[in-house]
Amino acid sequence: MSEHLTVPIEMALTWRYASGSAMERFAAGLRERRIAALRCDGCGRRYLPPRPLCGNCRLPLAEWVPVADEGALEAWTVMHLPILDGRTGEPREAPYGMGLIRLDGADTTVNHYLDERDPERLAIGMRVRAVWRGDLRGAMDDILHFEVLR
Amino acid sequence: MIREGGMSIPFRFAAGEAGSAFLAALRDDRRILGARCRGCGRVVVPARAFCGRCGGADLAFEDVGPEGTLIAWTQRPGHGVFGLIRLDGGDGALLHRLLSPLPALVAGVRLRPRFAAERRGDIRDIEGFEVVNGSDA
Amino acid sequence: MRRVAVVATGQTEHARSRDDLSQPELVRQAAGRALSDAGLEPDAVDAVVISNMELFEGRALPELWVGEGAFASGKPCLKVATGGTSGTSACIAGFHQVASGLFDVVLVVGFEKHSEGHTQTGMALTDPFWDRAVASGALGNFALSISQYMAERGVTEEHAARVAVKARRNAARNPHAHLRMPDITVEEVLASRILAHPVRMLDMCPQSDGACAIVVAGEDRAAGLCERPAWVKAAVTRHEQPYIGDIDRRLASMRTLREAARRAYELADIREPLGDFDVAEIYEPVSYSELAWYEALGFCEDGEAGRLIEAGRTEMEGDLPVNPSGGVLSTNPVGASGVIRVAEAALQVMGRGGERQVPGVETALATGYGVYAWADVVVLGSA
Repeated sequence: MSEHLTVPIEMALTWRYASGSAMERFAAGLRERRIAALRCDGCGRRYLPPRPLCGNCRLPLAEWVPVADEGALEAWTVMHLPILDGRTGEPREAPYGMGLIRLDGADTTVNHYLDERDPERLAIGMRVRAVWRGDLRGAMDDILHFEVLR
Repeated sequence: MIREGGMSIPFRFAAGEAGSAFLAALRDDRRILGARCRGCGRVVVPARAFCGRCGGADLAFEDVGPEGTLIAWTQRPGHGVFGLIRLDGGDGALLHRLLSPLPALVAGVRLRPRFAAERRGDIRDIEGFEVVNGSDA
Repeated sequence: MRRVAVVATGQTEHARSRDDLSQPELVRQAAGRALSDAGLEPDAVDAVVISNMELFEGRALPELWVGEGAFASGKPCLKVATGGTSGTSACIAGFHQVASGLFDVVLVVGFEKHSEGHTQTGMALTDPFWDRAVASGALGNFALSISQYMAERGVTEEHAARVAVKARRNAARNPHAHLRMPDITVEEVLASRILAHPVRMLDMCPQSDGACAIVVAGEDRAAGLCERPAWVKAAVTRHEQPYIGDIDRRLASMRTLREAARRAYELADIREPLGDFDVAEIYEPVSYSELAWYEALGFCEDGEAGRLIEAGRTEMEGDLPVNPSGGVLSTNPVGASGVIRVAEAALQVMGRGGERQVPGVETALATGYGVYAWADVVVLGSA
């Protein structure tokens, strides 16, 4: 005998998460195409996304500072794996560029899509600017992608 | 601000050596398999590949039940009635549905399994357990 | 605090899917082999630590379901789920339990059955307000960090391919390994399908089903259980900030691994890693990361990792063989992978490495890597 049986189970997960007031304020800004960071009084580091403490100094974060929607590419890749765009429900056609972007005024980087997909035309240090969607919901995918400024 | 969402994740669990034997016996023969530990004599139901009590891995499959004794029961509103059933020949208890009316459910009452007409190698190949010799309702 | 040693190991044959065994049966196989290796009866185990990323199998409280397979019934049993570092952190938890004097013999078992779940979907369950909107995923995050690392330290795709080749050729001599490719070449790696620039299919670790266990004992028991115990000289853990964007040039800076190594070397009196270690089992999810770890662990200066692999110094015949087991690149059941690093390093010290034994091992290094940049560093020695 020795038939190996498997038991299939589909798990449907649902959730409702409370954001906290800092993230709520950040999200409200996004609906107006405004990005902001929280600055640590101790080390001066300007963080996005918002969070309660500076992990290095262990000090509470309370000071909001404005951040531009453009900055410099600190890392990049071209993804060849298909991905579903959570906003549209449609697949994002591979290949597509992704990067870590240091927006002017922030000290952490933001992971996001790039409008460039040719590795020969991507480099660390390039300037990029957010391209916003029409439909703003207060989430980072209100930005469709970052365009490389040439 | 509250964010709502959902996701569905598909799983496929391997029943393994003992689990496969147990589920196949339900599906093909309407038999319930336990496993007797040759080390300490404990008969675990459903069958498993090793004994949790003595740590031994020398177990022999053997039929248990199909009848058994009701140890305890409870009702989950909207979900049904569940009981712990000690199957004849087995140690410990099996958790499963109880199909008889509530007044018939008394600790110590004798039960028999009702098998589904269509079975696929799943614990629900047993639909549930019902009181032997009809109900008292 | 008393000294502790790894006195026995056991692992399963790792594979893409082990449909023949249920999760408890898989755990039982590794745990049983480790107890046999130690000549111990189940009752001799005082406590059990389980390592598993339960979301991947969608089975809450894995320690409940598989604990019995790990001889944990009636014993204290603790689960560790810290991403890729689960296994090494679980071993460290076991070390602490024995070192405390509260337990004499502890069994640590790590396992994963990726084939039963949907790892990518599970890994998408990140911060709901940030990472779920836009995320590169584990592979994309590595590719991003690699772009920075290459630009800064001058490693090439060929250097990375050499790491991938070394791993799978070493694995060919490990009967437990998942991917065993004795004839793999650099050309094959460079020609394999591109996943996320510059990472190719053969640069990446597999997803495996498997389990691995170690037995940890205190100094009064160790000599009786093992001819050559692998003594724990140091065990250090460092975690990081929560978002990929918080970490500056992750692979190049890797501050967690550098700091954990610095502290572990201090505790274990390691002055010159390349010379002082006889073997290393380091946690490398992607070929490029092994190069970054050479620098972070002090095997070479920053910028010299490419030269180190080119010169063959981390090959089996080299100055410091790295990953004789084949590493994570050859076998990756996430909950087990860190335990495998410690077990393989311990096997080397014990002289039980079989065909993959490095001659004359006195001091071994094992590391764990997980999440964005969590790090564990363990030093094992023969004395």
